[in-house]
Amino acid sequence: MLKYLVKRIFWMVPLLIGISLISFFIMHLAPGDITTSEASFNPKASEESRQKLRELYSLDKPVIVQYSLWVKRMATLDFGTSFASHQRPVFWQTKDKDGNVTLGMIQEALPITLLINVLSLILIISVALPLGVVSALNQNQLTDRSITLFVFIGFAIPGFWLALMLMYWTGVQHTWLPISGLQSIGHENMSWIAQTTDTLKHLVLPVFISGITGLAGISLFVRNGMLEVLHQDYITTARSKGLSENRVIYGHALRNALLPLITIFGLSIPGLIGGSVIAESIFAIPGMGKLFYDAVLMRDFPVIMGILTIGAVLTLIGNLLADVAYAWADPRVRRGVVQ
Amino acid sequence: MMQIKHNQLVKLGFIKLAIIALFAPFMIAACSDSSSSNQINNKIDYTKNYPPSNGGTLIDAMTGEPSSLIAMIAGESAASAIAGNIFNSLLKYDKNLELTGELVESWDVSSDQKTITFHLKTNLKWADNQPLTSDDVLFTWQKVTDEKTRTPYGSDFKLVTKAETPDANTFRVTYAAPYAPALDTWAGLHILPKHLLKDQDINTTAFARNPVGSHYYKLEKWKNGQFLKLTRNENATQGQAKIDNLLSRIIPDKAAQFLELSADNIDSMGLNPIQYARIFPARPDLNKNIALYKELGNSYTYLGFNLKRKPFDDIRVRQAINYAINKQEIIDGVLLGLGEPVASPYKPGTRWSNPDLKPYPYDPNKARALLKAAGYEDHDGDGILDKDGKPFTFEILTNQNKEREMTGVLIQRRLNEIGIKANIRVLEWASFLGRFIKPKEFDVVVLGWSLSLDPDQYSIWHSSQQAPGQFNFISYSNPRVDKLLEAGRLELNPDKRMKIYHEFSKILLEDSPIVFLSAGYGLTAIHKRVRGISNPAPPAGIGHNTYEWYIPSAYARNEMSEH
Repeated sequence: MLKYLVKRIFWMVPLLIGISLISFFIMHLAPGDITTSEASFNPKASEESRQKLRELYSLDKPVIVQYSLWVKRMATLDFGTSFASHQRPVFWQTKDKDGNVTLGMIQEALPITLLINVLSLILIISVALPLGVVSALNQNQLTDRSITLFVFIGFAIPGFWLALMLMYWTGVQHTWLPISGLQSIGHENMSWIAQTTDTLKHLVLPVFISGITGLAGISLFVRNGMLEVLHQDYITTARSKGLSENRVIYGHALRNALLPLITIFGLSIPGLIGGSVIAESIFAIPGMGKLFYDAVLMRDFPVIMGILTIGAVLTLIGNLLADVAYAWADPRVRRGVVQ
Repeated sequence: MMQIKHNQLVKLGFIKLAIIALFAPFMIAACSDSSSSNQINNKIDYTKNYPPSNGGTLIDAMTGEPSSLIAMIAGESAASAIAGNIFNSLLKYDKNLELTGELVESWDVSSDQKTITFHLKTNLKWADNQPLTSDDVLFTWQKVTDEKTRTPYGSDFKLVTKAETPDANTFRVTYAAPYAPALDTWAGLHILPKHLLKDQDINTTAFARNPVGSHYYKLEKWKNGQFLKLTRNENATQGQAKIDNLLSRIIPDKAAQFLELSADNIDSMGLNPIQYARIFPARPDLNKNIALYKELGNSYTYLGFNLKRKPFDDIRVRQAINYAINKQEIIDGVLLGLGEPVASPYKPGTRWSNPDLKPYPYDPNKARALLKAAGYEDHDGDGILDKDGKPFTFEILTNQNKEREMTGVLIQRRLNEIGIKANIRVLEWASFLGRFIKPKEFDVVVLGWSLSLDPDQYSIWHSSQQAPGQFNFISYSNPRVDKLLEAGRLELNPDKRMKIYHEFSKILLEDSPIVFLSAGYGLTAIHKRVRGISNPAPPAGIGHNTYEWYIPSAYARNEMSEH
């Protein structure tokens, strides 16, 4: 088991280098750089000064040279500073000689996105699991059909439309919930209880929207897994032993049906750091999706590379965790690994 | 892993608006019978008159966040909007867009027009109580011309051959040759405090996010991605503003901004034509609390010909296309009537705009006659004009901008009517610029230029500015225009300068290297609790006197309950 782990971790290094190389070159395949944004198409900014900027950012050098510069920095875990945001550090905060701390861009955006995604994942699981089980137990009956219809409507409904309608209903017509943003204006002056309530209120709609669109996948997965397991011989055996129906379903069937879900959760770990551009724009949430989208539009290479690298590392770790968890949960896999 | 939906996102705005428009009647109905707590707000009568008073907070929304508050480095409009409330320049434009002193009492131009002497007002102070002197001005000039400073705006200031400070209140610059746009450049340069920046690297300094300025407001709080809060600067060099705090919330989505405005969580936002002309008239409940303002915007849309390509080198062809395009139709269709035709690259109503010039009227018959004179006729009867056996067909190129795309479609239809087949191609900005504009691989573009405040447009129209990456990418070359543009740069006397540019505009209109299409209005919605706003807007727009705006205390928000 340990040997297997070490081997897996060792293989991540060449994989990471390959991913970063490909990302770097694809990024440079797109035309333009930080000096060619629409805002810089301004007669007051001369071509010479733009050339000067290109030199300052080493953008005039061949891509392979730029890549080696980037690798050199990454070797010391230095993600660099953003071109577009006044040299803000891409990943983590820095302190200048006067003791002013500048927060990193990913450092600020990541917790927000993580919080929303974890909350919506919890929401999805806690709703999708019972829905899937109920569906499977009532296969092809009215309950099953309506649950499937409901989750598919959630899946198919345009998120931005639902978001706007809910914002209008809960924020303009009634003042139940704030419309956009993360905190109210007077947030700093509130007690910590009020602050928490305030933040949670701001998160209700974003979490709900990303939850409802993700419901279909998991609940159908649970339903089909359950159906498959319910037709296995050992379920028949369990029933014929005279076990109670609850014991059969929750003790034997569900546990087995949930195994494939581990893979799904492992794969969704990198997804946790990726925010949705559209949701974040509509709700005015300064998260990872907006950060990445803006960086791509501005051709802010250090930020793009920073997010892609962290995403790649998390994907690899997620895969690893999924495999390990699988081995832990399923003795058959575990034995196969050890031998 | 990221959900990048570029095209969708660009188009979303319009779809959303269409949907909101669709649901507007339902919303009104829903509004009238809901007993929401907003009804309390609706009960306040915002029509009463109150005398000007101090206090209150003005909350507005912007779509983008400034990258820094040092405008010479940041460059984007969000940064200039906020930094413009914090920093002063030597000069400013008054409400009629004439230059006047901001930090300076007066300025003199030497008789050879090469030296400008600025006389600073006395007793100027920074927000931290330090004196603001000519040393700070000199320091700012040194920074903007410094090779190490990452600014694209240095070239104008590098023309200064000598900058000196004879005393604490005098700043003198000498140019190698008279440079008329100089005054405009000094109106655009925010003066930075030397005592805080002299030991700092201006490219990375924390000052950029925690600035100290001299204007009406100072930065109190900046929450990344959420808001910037400005509060009144007690040491302001231009007197005291009436409103205590300016709070700018960052809300990237216009539809979300609109909902925040409807719920009375923000006081002001920029509108698009659909919101202004379609949604507001259908929502009497909104009109009760919110006033709409329009002012001439700062840019115009044009159709530009690649003059290096046939047949656009023929003036008759260019004029024919100009006659064939119905500009009013574009204003009505694309801008919903919220714009004006222009005939020169200057703001109508300012001194640089030649009042005798009129846009080419819509006249398809004249267009046909001109094309016939240029040798274009429909010889083979397929409905498309041809010459030497080749049909007259070309590509209209534009970037992903809904208004420009719609403009292209309207032009395409009108050209089709006189027998010209035009195809439209829409591109993302960077490839548009890199693959088509720089190498001049295009027939015709639909794009925008700003209606500049200084009349100098040397970099756009002078024949020497055609290299890749320079701004005369349509390759316009007219010796008479070259001479006028050169003369205009050497003449600092406003009246003589005006004559030069009136003549330049006249030739430009005649030559028709571009077709002036429209200049859209800037549309703003401001809550009626905010008073003192000039309506109708002067040429400089409603924002020219924000320091005189006030919020009567009876209408001020309860600060704690704000969202």
